[in-house]
Amino acid sequence: MPSVNFEHVTKRFGDATVIEDFDLEVADGELLVLVGGSGSGKSTILRMLAGLETVTSGKILIDGRDVTDLPPRDRDVAMVFQDYGLYPHMTVRENLSLGLRLRKIPREEIDRRVAWAGAILGLEPLLDRKPKALSGGQRQRVAMGRAMVREPKVFLFDEPLSNLDAALRAQMRIEIGGLQRRLKTTTVYVTHDQVEAMTLGDRIVVLADGRIQQIGRPIDLYQNPVNRFVAGFIGTPAMNFLQGTLASEGGRLYFSSEGARLKLRGGTASVTSSEPVTLGVRPEDLRVHTIDLPTTGVLDHSPIPGASDGDTLTGRVLLVERLGGTSHVHFQVGPHRLLASVTSDSPPELGTNITARVPAARVHLFGGDGRVIGQSSSLRS
Amino acid sequence: MNAKRLARRIGLYAGLTIAALTFIYPFLWMASSTFKPPIEVGSLALIPHAPTLDNYRTMWARAPFGRALVNSVFVATTITLSVLVFGSMTAYAMARLNFRGRPVLNAAVIAVLMVPGQLTLIPLYTLIVQLGWIDTYAALIIPYLFNATAILMLRQFFLQIPQSLIDSARMDGMSEPRILFTIFWPLSKPVLSIVAIFTFMGAWNEVLWPLLVVREQNLMTLPQLLTVFALGGGAGTVGVSLASAMVLVVPVIAAYAFLQRSFIESMAGSGIKG
Repeated sequence: MPSVNFEHVTKRFGDATVIEDFDLEVADGELLVLVGGSGSGKSTILRMLAGLETVTSGKILIDGRDVTDLPPRDRDVAMVFQDYGLYPHMTVRENLSLGLRLRKIPREEIDRRVAWAGAILGLEPLLDRKPKALSGGQRQRVAMGRAMVREPKVFLFDEPLSNLDAALRAQMRIEIGGLQRRLKTTTVYVTHDQVEAMTLGDRIVVLADGRIQQIGRPIDLYQNPVNRFVAGFIGTPAMNFLQGTLASEGGRLYFSSEGARLKLRGGTASVTSSEPVTLGVRPEDLRVHTIDLPTTGVLDHSPIPGASDGDTLTGRVLLVERLGGTSHVHFQVGPHRLLASVTSDSPPELGTNITARVPAARVHLFGGDGRVIGQSSSLRS
Repeated sequence: MNAKRLARRIGLYAGLTIAALTFIYPFLWMASSTFKPPIEVGSLALIPHAPTLDNYRTMWARAPFGRALVNSVFVATTITLSVLVFGSMTAYAMARLNFRGRPVLNAAVIAVLMVPGQLTLIPLYTLIVQLGWIDTYAALIIPYLFNATAILMLRQFFLQIPQSLIDSARMDGMSEPRILFTIFWPLSKPVLSIVAIFTFMGAWNEVLWPLLVVREQNLMTLPQLLTVFALGGGAGTVGVSLASAMVLVVPVIAAYAFLQRSFIESMAGSGIKG
């Protein structure tokens, strides 16, 4: 039995529809990540599941039980908030135990659970401190501990790492993942950070404008995005997009755009040649070669040698960002600005001309409506 | 350079000292005069030559000041507690709950604030007469149980408390009143103190309203009895008048001293920390 069910859930604030006809199943023990930009409705979905927002229409079930109209305390869920929501005037111990005391759980049981969570999260020396005397990471652990001691059916995380610095975020991400695998509690995790989504989620739900764009395992979303939004959202750096048209020549299908002409594989029968399409290719899939030496002085706009021959793009390097292990090479092809991720120790230099090989198998094609056109998935299967 | 700074320092402190004395001298004079025999009251000296408690004895003997003190404490305390409890409940609803008619309620509270007290005095008096509440505690207390200024001050403060605290408390299983009294109240001490002081002082110093609705001497509040006593010529001497004024002032000073820290804090505009 799925642990959490959303059935045709709709949420309106006044006249604005934030979530429309939302259906979702979360399996028992699964860590499901809701990811999307701001205004995508991800937090609203979580808050409806928690009981902190009402549902306009539709049903929410937890373990098969309809909880749509139940208050938060009767839903057997626990939540970790972005700014932790710790009671500032209470000690860590009181913060951890309050929910249990209100539920009239026996004293010894409360002590046992607080000790258990304290041990797992390394909070023992901090139990008698107030939140003000804790660091960001420690507060985050207390917030997690407060959820853990409740031993709920479902954990809810609402952007729990957004207030931490980068290093601590990476560390806490690993801790949350490890903790969830250990406790095997069904978890719904909301984030705007696709790296968190990719690394933590058993499955990811990508949301935009209150609608599900795609649900799947992280690698599926990465390899087979169903639309342009998901393609652009998942993966860092973001996918390159080129606008153009399809044309058939000598039985082969070509993508053409100003300054670019690429041979495509497989059958994309459903596309008429005049329809505008978008070609997407990930920066890490581009293979870059320098084709001349750096020019001296300013960039000239002389014609770029070597026309596209069907699997390469030719362009001029505009900017190189060296990150150490990899470098981000920004280059211009006709009117398009593209990015290639290069792992070589000696990336192309500023102002040089390069060719970028575009493996046909790694190309994603999207129609005018933004949906993927059969090409890459049919190739992969 | 150093000498210049020192001179400026001295000038500054001299000015401040004069200002402080200007404010405190009349009060100290009043306090000391209550211990002076009638012949000394005219002098500006602060130390009585022949200290005496006669003024207090006379005052206590001529009118029921003990009873009036009890009345005043009872009335002002009841009003203050009520304004804090009901005021914060209203403010919580206005600040943090979603319900139909909330904007109207907000506007209504502000509208109440704009009606001067003098305007409602007569209708309110008529109402009290018709309810048969003349010469009762109800007449002194009930019209003051709610206070729009207090509600707005509390609301403003409650708006700053993070939503995640309310959310956490709801997840922990707290009811709304419990959230208010166990989460919001401890975090709102500064604003609660200032509301408490203003309400208590307002209720304590009120003269006009008690004069209208209470004629029974045993129900009179301290300032009312004092007014009746002094204006009615019951005091007889300046020393006795001043002694009765002292009885009026001391509890307010005591309350202020007690709550001073939070009072200053809230005047300085404190927020939520941590």
